[in-house]
Amino acid sequence: MFELFGHTADLGVRVTGASREELFAEAARGLATLLVANLETVRPVETRTLRIAGEQDDYLLLDWLQELLYLFETEHWLCRESQIRFAPGEMTAECRGEPLDEQRHCLGYEVKAITYHQLAVRQVRDLWKAEFIVDI
Amino acid sequence: MAKQTYAGPLEQVSPYCWRIPKSYKPGMRVDGLIYADERLIAQIRHDQAPEQVANVAFLPGIQYASLAMPDIHWGYGFCIGGVCATDPAEGGVISPGGVGYDINCGVRLMRTNLFFPEVQPVLRELMDTLFARVPAGVGRGGKYKFQRQEIRRLLAEGVPYLLGRQLATAADIEHTEAGGHLAGADPDCVSDRALERGLDQCGTLGSGNHFLEVQVVDAIFDPVAAEVMGLQEGQVCVMIHSGSRGLGYQVCDDALKQFRGVPARYGIALPDRQLACAPIDSPEGRSYLGAMCAAANFAWCNRQLLMTLARESFETVFGRSREELRLSLVYDVAHNIAKLEQHALGGRPRRLWVHRKGATRAFPPRHPEVPSMYQAIGQPVLIPGDMGRASWVLVGRQGSMEQTFGTACHGAGRMMSRTAAVQHAQGRRIDRELAARGVIARAHSWRGLAEEQPDAYKDVNLVVDVVHQANLAAKVARMRPIGVVKG
Repeated sequence: MFELFGHTADLGVRVTGASREELFAEAARGLATLLVANLETVRPVETRTLRIAGEQDDYLLLDWLQELLYLFETEHWLCRESQIRFAPGEMTAECRGEPLDEQRHCLGYEVKAITYHQLAVRQVRDLWKAEFIVDI
Repeated sequence: MAKQTYAGPLEQVSPYCWRIPKSYKPGMRVDGLIYADERLIAQIRHDQAPEQVANVAFLPGIQYASLAMPDIHWGYGFCIGGVCATDPAEGGVISPGGVGYDINCGVRLMRTNLFFPEVQPVLRELMDTLFARVPAGVGRGGKYKFQRQEIRRLLAEGVPYLLGRQLATAADIEHTEAGGHLAGADPDCVSDRALERGLDQCGTLGSGNHFLEVQVVDAIFDPVAAEVMGLQEGQVCVMIHSGSRGLGYQVCDDALKQFRGVPARYGIALPDRQLACAPIDSPEGRSYLGAMCAAANFAWCNRQLLMTLARESFETVFGRSREELRLSLVYDVAHNIAKLEQHALGGRPRRLWVHRKGATRAFPPRHPEVPSMYQAIGQPVLIPGDMGRASWVLVGRQGSMEQTFGTACHGAGRMMSRTAAVQHAQGRRIDRELAARGVIARAHSWRGLAEEQPDAYKDVNLVVDVVHQANLAAKVARMRPIGVVKG
């Protein structure tokens, strides 16, 4: 689950998940809904595997989202859904999506970057929560 | 996280300046100073921007004060509208967050010899032509494709590289801040990822608050300076606001990643990770500066190519050449940048790295870095407002050297968040409202217009009044928009 919140010139995404894996997948979905206004039209027909190295949850989250942003900017590839696995020192994401098709996909924001400002990942009892602010 | 009101101290020290004393937080090395009048300071208290001004005062080597302009608003790490100067000789740092993701985001103004009555009958055609020619919006590549080797040269040389390709003139270069070229640029410091993001984006507008506007000179406040700039009442101009596109964003992101452990390594304590910094004289600092200068050069080239597309559009619509239409650059200024400049502090000249994050250089008359034709009047300062009200042309004043490291504001400053602006626009057609005000808007998305609606911004006239009254920059001309291209 995720929701957007306002931050003057930029936008924030607040994410909740039952596990860290779900949290990271939901965060990606939150970012994708900023990039494309009708995410439901993005078909999960191609698979891409991304590996992100890192120890710290918040940096891993930022690097993972930044990687998706890079894929979108350079290859116009959109991620509809993802499955995350964590291993010591790295995470792996199986991403499913397709390249941008402007006939079907309605573009949303130009996200410049994921910022470090108020970036947080934490476990609260049996829920995982994260917040990040994107620069528009 | 709700938007909190700033509850810390704000002491009025003059009609246009408010102080956050360095005693406010342990770790502040200097005071914070915010330029605003009573009306604007009431708005400024509404979010955490003053807290961010205080946080910037933690940076090692910061000189005089952590400064903010009247268009200040809440950013990430640094506030937008912030100025901070650091001294390398005193362990001063460079902070990528103090420049921002959009390195050398800035504004240029091109004049024409056309007057409103001649443009009005074909304005719709002109806007359609500009909208078709100028790539704008998300994910759109440009007309100009550069090979990797060409981009590397462009990064190293800036706008002079485009001169060799007949995409810029000597006069364009003369009328661009720093001649459109920062000497410290090192393409080897720019990652492959950043190059990849920049290859097809030079000559694209982007989205968000970037725009191309057709404007009319609405009122002249300083006839002498206006004449030197070739501006007359009723004259049609083009204002372009864009930056370094994906290349710059990636340079900033790469640096922030590289800087993750750096503050701890150099024993620097910071209240916000987005303030990450490195000593200027460190391998990390030097590498960022090489890349930042390269991205700045890219941004100047981007605005130059956008202006070239605008020139072509005018030629098509009016059936006359750019020489006949006198499509001349008035000036181009950066408002997200860090530059090594000489400033007098404590009675002696010092070489300082001045970070301007959403703030415009405003050098006074006779400053050596002001181009020769503007020596007598001071450097032109271009202040875009919102797309319904006005934009401004000012000139730098001596007061800026004495108070703000030669700096003035950069725009109106956002007042409403994007989410609030969209809510505020529900059930409305912003394009029709603008048309009723005499502005033809062409945008790729309803939401883009909704978020950038005039109500989302502070009144630029109030912001400009403060910089004028505080003697940072003086009013020359007010510009009224008649056509807008948005992403």
